[in-house]
Amino acid sequence: MILAWKEIKNNKAKFSIVGSIILLISLLTFIISGLANGLSQDNMSLIKNFPDGTFYMAEDSNNSYAQSRIDEKKQMQLLENGEYSFAFSLQMGNLKIDSNKQKNVSLMTYTDNKYYQNIDNGEIVLDHSLKKEGIKAGDQLSFRQSENSFEVAGFVDDARFNHSPVVLINQNDFNNLFRTQAFQIVFSPIFNKDIDGLNAYSNSEFLNTIPSYQAEQMTLNMIVWFLIIISGMLFAIFFYMMNVQKLGMYGILKALGIRTNTLYTMIWTQMGIITVSALISSALLSQVFQSIAPTSMPYSLPLTSTIQLSILFIVVGFMGATLSGIQIKRIDPLQAIQQGEA
Amino acid sequence: MSQLQLEQVRKSFMNGEVEEEVLKGVNLTLNKGEVTALIGSSGSGKSTILSIAASLQPLSKGRIIFDHQNLVELKPEQIRKIRAQQYGFVFQQSHLVPFLTVEEQLSLMLDIAEVKGSKYDKQIEIKNVLEKVEMTHRQSAYPASLSGGEKQRIAVARAIIHRPKVLFADEPTASLDSKKSNDIMQLIQELTHSLEMMTLIVTHEEEMLEYTDRVVKMSDGEIITVN
Ligand SMILES: Nc1ncnc2c1ncn2[C@@H]1O[C@H](COP(=O)(O)OP(=O)(O)OP(=O)(O)O)[C@@H](O)[C@H]1O
Ligand SMILES: [Mg+2]
Repeated sequence: MILAWKEIKNNKAKFSIVGSIILLISLLTFIISGLANGLSQDNMSLIKNFPDGTFYMAEDSNNSYAQSRIDEKKQMQLLENGEYSFAFSLQMGNLKIDSNKQKNVSLMTYTDNKYYQNIDNGEIVLDHSLKKEGIKAGDQLSFRQSENSFEVAGFVDDARFNHSPVVLINQNDFNNLFRTQAFQIVFSPIFNKDIDGLNAYSNSEFLNTIPSYQAEQMTLNMIVWFLIIISGMLFAIFFYMMNVQKLGMYGILKALGIRTNTLYTMIWTQMGIITVSALISSALLSQVFQSIAPTSMPYSLPLTSTIQLSILFIVVGFMGATLSGIQIKRIDPLQAIQQGEA
Repeated sequence: MSQLQLEQVRKSFMNGEVEEEVLKGVNLTLNKGEVTALIGSSGSGKSTILSIAASLQPLSKGRIIFDHQNLVELKPEQIRKIRAQQYGFVFQQSHLVPFLTVEEQLSLMLDIAEVKGSKYDKQIEIKNVLEKVEMTHRQSAYPASLSGGEKQRIAVARAIIHRPKVLFADEPTASLDSKKSNDIMQLIQELTHSLEMMTLIVTHEEEMLEYTDRVVKMSDGEIITVN
């Protein structure tokens, strides 16, 4: 619409200030949301890469996998479902890299299943991030927890738990290391089958039982929401202030017979032009940030998140602009005519 | 013959606790191709009549007949449409849109009035009207770069570009010197005759009456003489 565009063209400074503030806020939002996502991958990619399904833990576990002991009969009952269900356990351990260097790892063991390879006695499979420590297939490594040494049989991608690399290990070796028998968790791809004495969790519910994960993500997501709400308020305030300056002009146009909808369309168009150009710039800048951020900084912003956040910004901007436009409906043309030239 | 008629129009305002009657039963008829001047002392109710006639504010009692309809009974959206398509306005100040060029002001008015026609036709129409107000040379100028008289000429052009039946002007020359005032008044009278509009002008200045066809004098909310 010509009115909307011509006004932006003739008031470049005013509109670019609004645009750059939206740009900065959305850039900050993108970066923080990229960090939230990067951190959650770094923290829990093992669980995040599970297929959708149900996690079962013992009812008396206080929602903590570490305290959960699955009753053997119930485990059998669940695993009847077939090769896509399995029981597993996780424990923190310390991998000796060399004589004076250790690394925190999460050891994981499981019953036979279709997702994870079988590990032989005396062997381990490591998350690929441990390659950076100079570890190769065939190396002999041991844990602080025992004298036995294990041969590195291979590596897997994106297996991290509690911000540490995951080590896959055979069930007997695991039981010897940690002196346990029972599994902690059963995973089943079937949804919501209630079992007496067990609690069922969806993937995201299970993730949120892990305190470090929940605290981390909640904080960051709260900041993201906060920024989105602030940007909506900024929109409302900026457009309100710009509208106040233009009430006289709107009143005259109403006296001439302009439709109120045309004026709203003008505000929406301007909001759209400013937001979309600010969002495109900040999406590009956030990609630049991704490429220059230090590798030790977990940062990952998938395109879908960028698009989802952008749509949210547009919706919030739309609401802000509309809210600021309510006054347009109430303008009295007569008052505008009697006032001096705007 | 089409006319705009006010019949027994009354208007009261609440002044604190007391109701004050500002218009006390006004009858007024505007005729095609005729400039009607509305004069009278300050506070006699001239602006109030004009804005009620133009449906810019409601009346307390009475009827406004236009095109065989009583406008008082119409819905706001119908009134808006009539204002956009059948009425033209010149205000005391030009009230142009600051960020549109002269050409664009006129094109906007054509859009508001929902005038049909090709872009080319509209371009021609804009040129014609600019010729009528002798402003062709400033068609790409922004309001800020126009003089007061030039602005008012563009305001007149905007008021007539969509060929309204009625032209309303409340003290259109109040902010101009007397030479320019004469020019604007003459322009309005010529356009009223050539485009056969019904024109209602409120004015303070005696010497402007030279450019009007009929004078209506008001006093204290009533019409006292017509000649
Ligand atoms: N919105 C309003 N509320 C209360 N009183 C009003 C209102 N508008 C006008 N009046 C009163 O109505 C009377 C007529 O006002 P109006 O503006 O029509 O006068 P006028 O003849 O145009 O005067 P002027 O020559 O000074 O412009 C005045 O006494 C004015 O105070
Ligand atoms: Mg007046």
